[in-house]
Amino acid sequence: MRAARLANVLFYYSPLALLAIAWDLSSRFNLIAPELAPSPGATLAALWTLIASGELTEHVGVSVYRESVGLLSSIAVGTVIGIGMARIEWVRILLRPCVTFLYPMPKSALIPILLLWFGLGHMSKIAAVFLGCLLPMVTSSYNGARGVEPQLIWSARSLGASQWGVLWKVILMAALPDILSGARIALALSWLLLVAAEMMISRNGLGFLISYTGETGDYANMFAAILVVVAIGFFSDRFFLLLMRWALRWRDLPA
Amino acid sequence: MSPTQKIRLGRWARAFGHYAGGAAIVGLWEISVSGGWIDPYLLPAPSAVFGRMIEQAMAGDLIRHAALTVYRGVAGFLIAAALGIVLGTLAARNRFCHWFLDPLVSVGFPAPKIALLPIFILWFGLGDMSKLVMVVITCIFPVISATYLGTSSIDRYLIWSARNLGMSERRLLWKIVIPAALPQIISGLQIAFPMALVVTVVTEMITSGGGLGGYMMRSARFALSEQVFAGIVTIGILGYLLLKLFDRGRRYLLRWHAESQM
Amino acid sequence: MPKITFNAVRKVFPTDSVNPVVAIDHIDLTVRHDEFVSIVGPSGCGKSTLLYLLGGFIDLSGGDILIDDKPVSGPGPDRGIVFQHFALFPWHTVLGNVEFGLAERGIAKAERREIAQRYIDMVKLTGFENTFPNRLSGGMQQRVALARTLACDPAVLLMDEPFGALDAQTRHILQEELLEIWSRQKKTVLFVTHDVREAVILSERVVVMTARPGRIKAVIDTRADRGGSSAAIDARAEHIWSILREELSR
Repeated sequence: MRAARLANVLFYYSPLALLAIAWDLSSRFNLIAPELAPSPGATLAALWTLIASGELTEHVGVSVYRESVGLLSSIAVGTVIGIGMARIEWVRILLRPCVTFLYPMPKSALIPILLLWFGLGHMSKIAAVFLGCLLPMVTSSYNGARGVEPQLIWSARSLGASQWGVLWKVILMAALPDILSGARIALALSWLLLVAAEMMISRNGLGFLISYTGETGDYANMFAAILVVVAIGFFSDRFFLLLMRWALRWRDLPA
Repeated sequence: MSPTQKIRLGRWARAFGHYAGGAAIVGLWEISVSGGWIDPYLLPAPSAVFGRMIEQAMAGDLIRHAALTVYRGVAGFLIAAALGIVLGTLAARNRFCHWFLDPLVSVGFPAPKIALLPIFILWFGLGDMSKLVMVVITCIFPVISATYLGTSSIDRYLIWSARNLGMSERRLLWKIVIPAALPQIISGLQIAFPMALVVTVVTEMITSGGGLGGYMMRSARFALSEQVFAGIVTIGILGYLLLKLFDRGRRYLLRWHAESQM
Repeated sequence: MPKITFNAVRKVFPTDSVNPVVAIDHIDLTVRHDEFVSIVGPSGCGKSTLLYLLGGFIDLSGGDILIDDKPVSGPGPDRGIVFQHFALFPWHTVLGNVEFGLAERGIAKAERREIAQRYIDMVKLTGFENTFPNRLSGGMQQRVALARTLACDPAVLLMDEPFGALDAQTRHILQEELLEIWSRQKKTVLFVTHDVREAVILSERVVVMTARPGRIKAVIDTRADRGGSSAAIDARAEHIWSILREELSR
């Protein structure tokens, strides 16, 4: 059973292995110039040195710290604002003009301003992630909280829940599917913004590692760092998907 | 205030609030800068920002940068849309293509593609090519996966009845499969389009070569904060207009579809 | 002293057009302690609106509603409600749903569990405690909703076409179970239905409403028929039908 599943997974991802082999062969037979792409062997060797020296851990730690602080705070604040806008009319009236103007703005445009405001430290990157992910979170939780069935709210009220209790015991829970799928989009956006901001305005982190090694012509290390970023992006999404399935297990279709 | 029973304000109050909210924020911003509560370097007054915007637009600078950004974003998006629809349809109709593309999409979709930018610069130089490739690579994944979902879940009675009427496979694809999958394809494009703008701006910031992203980043390096804000307001307006335009196009293409009435 | 008093109750819904909709008007009705009253009427006559007003979910436009001589203001756990489409919390298990109201009352965990279990057993769902509602059939979901409401021990039970979404067989079984529960733990029940026969079988009095705007057309004592033969029930149901038919043809 287990072996069969493993075989399935291996077969599923085999095209990736095929691409790696093609990459290896083309660099062995000099089909691509070595100054344009280091061989897989050289990339893996560079990756190993980065890991062994502890350098990679440091950059990964810095990036993961900035990403998670920015993302988690935007999820928390965005959900509160979104639910507030959905359920309280004066909040909606106050905030809707801001949301309609800011929502279509490419969030990456904020990065230079954050450089002005916060300089090169952690804060400018955390703020880039936070501000970039805030609006997607506001709109997804707003949409989720707006469509809650009134009878669900009435049931809770007649079972003794207070109006504020209803807000987080019913409305938050009913909006959860929308909030989580918004958070999944925000997760992808957060890595984009973080890596971009680190490439431009940082002295550490994975984005910095990529742009620094690129500028100094150290392409084996650059490819290694890019592989790490792609892998982190992929696995954080898979991890989030598992979390989402668990949190929404009550929504499963009848077996 | 009751959060669960929606409280309704009067019609006038609502119409007033809709504009007053925005106007109040701009007014408060202006007053707090000119009153000296906020450092105009960190947050220049709206009047100063708009003044700079008009000045630079008159000189032609801002318009040239804006045009470059729009060109890169829209061209990259259109290429990604065309390629993505082709690849997604192929994946739905051909088992080998599906086997090959499926794992690439499942890894590529969530990966932060911006990390690949230095590779594209290495391969294609600092000009427009690397920027376009970056935009295409970012936008193509949602289009492929939406097209695949759309074209592989078509009602088979639709296909049977078309074949029964003697339609050729090629016409079947263009007349039945793609139109039936259109709502899904367009929802994929809807995810891709804002991403195109985000990535265009970032790419311009990192590589040089003009565009609003480069303009803002250079202004930030020289600490010209009014110019940075002029850039952000321009990008905001452009983003708003482009999304409006996109929405128009979406409604037009889906005018036969029930959801487009909403 | 009556349990519930409706005094010249009126409800008007604002609409987008100029003319607001008068849903119900001039409703005067008193309900005794532990009485079982059904409300029937043409669809759209405001029978459910009457329940929602009593539940405190929507506001009155005129008149007043008294419970134990005190005016209704907002929803409260003294009035439990069961809806046609169950309105269970899909993210809670059966046990979690039944415990919801008990937790709101601040009952300690062990005791809460014990009370909830008793009501789950009562509606014959033993063994399904940890199942999520979407895995249950409609009839089972409605049993959960009933248990959830009864667990709070409300003095008044509001039922809004509770068996309307169920198949005939399930409906029949649940009707019998409801009667049995009601005979054991006395409660004042207001039961909205469009099924006249169901109203005769279950209730002591049947209120017949007019078409919109909903007013009370007739109040019929059915205590003599409900336990009686099938023929007696049919005769009474036919009698109520004949009153209703005038409204339907209007």
